[in-house]
Amino acid sequence: MSKITIDPVTRIEGHAKIDLFLDPQGEVSDAHFHVTQVRGFEKFCEGRPFYEMPSITARICGICPVSHLLASVKACDAIMAVAPPETALRLRRLVHCAQYVQSHALSFFHLSAPDLLLGFDSDPARRNIFGLIEEQPELARMGIALRKFGQQAIEGLAQERVHPSWIVPGGVNAPLDPAVRDHILAGWPDAMAIARKTMEYFKSIVDQFPEEIAHFGSGSTLYAALVNGAGDLDWYDGTLTFKEADGKVAAAGVRAQDYPLFVGEAAMRDSYLKAPYFKPVGYPEGVYRVGPLARLNVAAATGTPLADAELAEFRQRFGPVVHSAFHYHYARLIELLHGLELMKLLLDDPSILNPRVRAHAGVNALEGVGMIEAPRGSLIHHYKVDENGAIRWANLIVATGHNNLAMNRAITEVARHFVHGKELREGMLNRVSAVVRAFDPCLSCSTHADGTLDLEIRILPWQPAPGV
Amino acid sequence: MKKVRLATVWLDGCSGCHMSLLDMDEAILSVAKRADVVYGPLVDAQEFPKAVDVTVIEGAVSSQDDLEKVRTIRQRSKLVVALGDCAVTGNVPAMRNTTPPRKLLERIYVEGADAARGIPSDGVPALLRHAVPVHEVVRVDLHVPGCPPPAKAIAWVLGELCEGRMPDLKSKVKFG
Amino acid sequence: MADQISVRIDGEYVPACAGQTILEVARASGKYIPTLCWLENIPAAGACRLCIVEVSGVARPLPACTTPVQDGMSVTTMSESLTRYRRTTVEFLLSERNHQCAVCVSNNHCELQAMAQRLGVTSVHYSYCWPKLPVDVSHPRFVLDHNRCILCTRCVRVCAEVEGARVWDVAGRGVRSMVVCDANRPWGESRNCTSCGKCVQVCPTGAMAEKGYAVEEMVKHDANVRRLAHRQGGHV
Repeated sequence: MSKITIDPVTRIEGHAKIDLFLDPQGEVSDAHFHVTQVRGFEKFCEGRPFYEMPSITARICGICPVSHLLASVKACDAIMAVAPPETALRLRRLVHCAQYVQSHALSFFHLSAPDLLLGFDSDPARRNIFGLIEEQPELARMGIALRKFGQQAIEGLAQERVHPSWIVPGGVNAPLDPAVRDHILAGWPDAMAIARKTMEYFKSIVDQFPEEIAHFGSGSTLYAALVNGAGDLDWYDGTLTFKEADGKVAAAGVRAQDYPLFVGEAAMRDSYLKAPYFKPVGYPEGVYRVGPLARLNVAAATGTPLADAELAEFRQRFGPVVHSAFHYHYARLIELLHGLELMKLLLDDPSILNPRVRAHAGVNALEGVGMIEAPRGSLIHHYKVDENGAIRWANLIVATGHNNLAMNRAITEVARHFVHGKELREGMLNRVSAVVRAFDPCLSCSTHADGTLDLEIRILPWQPAPGV
Repeated sequence: MKKVRLATVWLDGCSGCHMSLLDMDEAILSVAKRADVVYGPLVDAQEFPKAVDVTVIEGAVSSQDDLEKVRTIRQRSKLVVALGDCAVTGNVPAMRNTTPPRKLLERIYVEGADAARGIPSDGVPALLRHAVPVHEVVRVDLHVPGCPPPAKAIAWVLGELCEGRMPDLKSKVKFG
Repeated sequence: MADQISVRIDGEYVPACAGQTILEVARASGKYIPTLCWLENIPAAGACRLCIVEVSGVARPLPACTTPVQDGMSVTTMSESLTRYRRTTVEFLLSERNHQCAVCVSNNHCELQAMAQRLGVTSVHYSYCWPKLPVDVSHPRFVLDHNRCILCTRCVRVCAEVEGARVWDVAGRGVRSMVVCDANRPWGESRNCTSCGKCVQVCPTGAMAEKGYAVEEMVKHDANVRRLAHRQGGHV
């Protein structure tokens, strides 16, 4: 049996490598997802003043720096023992929503739409955003415009689109300029129209993928997300809730500082990405998923009308708890609507212009944990400092990391169903990559530990797989 | 007019420079007219092609894999552009350089794990002692510093390169 | 008033007196010479070598801040080789310690960063040293990050000449030189520091900063220090 390498997994953030083990019949018996880079943030931050952490950890990821900034400043707020002013919290929520809009738009249009709109089996040379621009120009323009709306909102608020230093411990470092507020509101209707149009379009084509839906990580897992007291989605400030595959609550109301009771991390022999697991169940059975699909499985509702209407329709179609990783795409589009609705609510409230946006303090606690929902899933920053505020120890558990075990399972499932070594076609391997894309992994993030994921799919002759 | 064969690569970076590239928004449509993106995270090519006109590299060289990749890139590209502070100066990835890799890995996979403790060793590339800028490994034709470089600067650089001109960046960009 | 002497800068005769330095004369005539370690009204040190100029009849470039003018001197402030040397100087500084501008409190407000941009430095041709250097967070209000220090010694001179506390000094030699407090004590344990903050305000990079200023927030204000130095009779 010859060895086939898919390297890299494309149209994801970061690098990843997948090994497929074939049995003597050429069918896949096992698959492994390798992260081949590691970066070292948790170690090299030691000694830095804690208030530098937001901007340092922003450099974990260029797609979702706002997520790291927010989780980091929440941890810093805890070290300072401050409650940021109300307007600061609203502004943080606002920039958070803007990031959801741009990140989900990027994931859908730039990274996944080539598969969904041009076809999983289409010519790989054209199966990308540039091919989309040529074949479906209106849709491509919609995607670019929607991402631009999110990025411009971030830029208006924070003066920078990537790695904005506006988000600081204690709040934000400048109030909102009314002209910026007006400008964002002016662009909002078009952005919302695009989001709705995309939602309608996707709903009209989703039935074209029955095989993918049935086999893209359809196995059940636990789901984890942050929700508020009413059980509704809360991207910025919820508590962590774990639900079982049938919707039963496994753990609820977990506060940031209590995460170590429920989330453990396992090292993997063949991957630089550690595998978080649900501690009450243990490793390796305690598999749980985070991200858009998980959030909609865990939350009772999103809390905004349009998104909730779509959520109701989604549940009617696919059930109260949805397992297929393919439906991450649908969930992402629902969240896009939710993010836009939240932005309007926040911008329409005049208190968003208040000038008091920052609390100042020194070190008042020697430990702080910040937890938020990043676009790709729950994100935890945990810092310990000395009396002078220098970081002694840091732990970061990043969204895509939570999905590590689930991605491994999903890849195995997809590979087993679609890949047949005796008559190998490129579209088969693209589907293995596509299930990774469905998770929308952020591998630069998840390998903050050290490195990036290099996706390489190798099909190797059968050997008894380790552990089998 | 023959399209320029353009490749983009990220090594040990955060993808922020690629995001800044996409932040040229609709101007990407004009790039698409002048250039064929033959390799990169946004397209599906599996192997780095031969005879690439311009390769833009983001990220520092940090692992054995990065090292081999960047050498292949240099061999197969007419022009190599180091995009962003990580590729130009090492930047944040280089903050790990004052710690021996072994200590780094122990902190993460032994002290930092609750189960199955141990440093990964199977099918993962070794870390280089230092995460270094691209030009410490291969010749670089153009440096575009910034973290990330502004979208306008990237758009201008790509525009110039597509027209066969070497942009004179001088004071248009800065570190950080 | 000291004797008037004849000095040309870039081919032009400029007013000059015996006892002035080339830099003083140039500044008085509106001629720009780049500087980094020099600070108005504080004694010059010639530490950074950015201000090197060419003097007719002298084989090597001389630092303008410490070289006295002489009658008949002809100075060139800008040339291709001077630009090259100045760029090299900045590149040496950047390669010697750990300057990650992106995550520094002085990002966008840093004299080293600004000088690099002004000179068109877009990469460093010399191998980075990656030394392991400490961050002194022991003082309740200030931080000294040795990774960002360029040994300009402004802090040493200001503390000695303006505040009079003489807290800072340079220990070690060559590339191992370090700014030290009170003969090498943590800043927070200094017996002489008055916490006036002058050193922080004159530090050209993010090496010395006030606690709590996050990345890109540390804007320095040295006007008061310079004015005070002037009132005290300080001179170049």
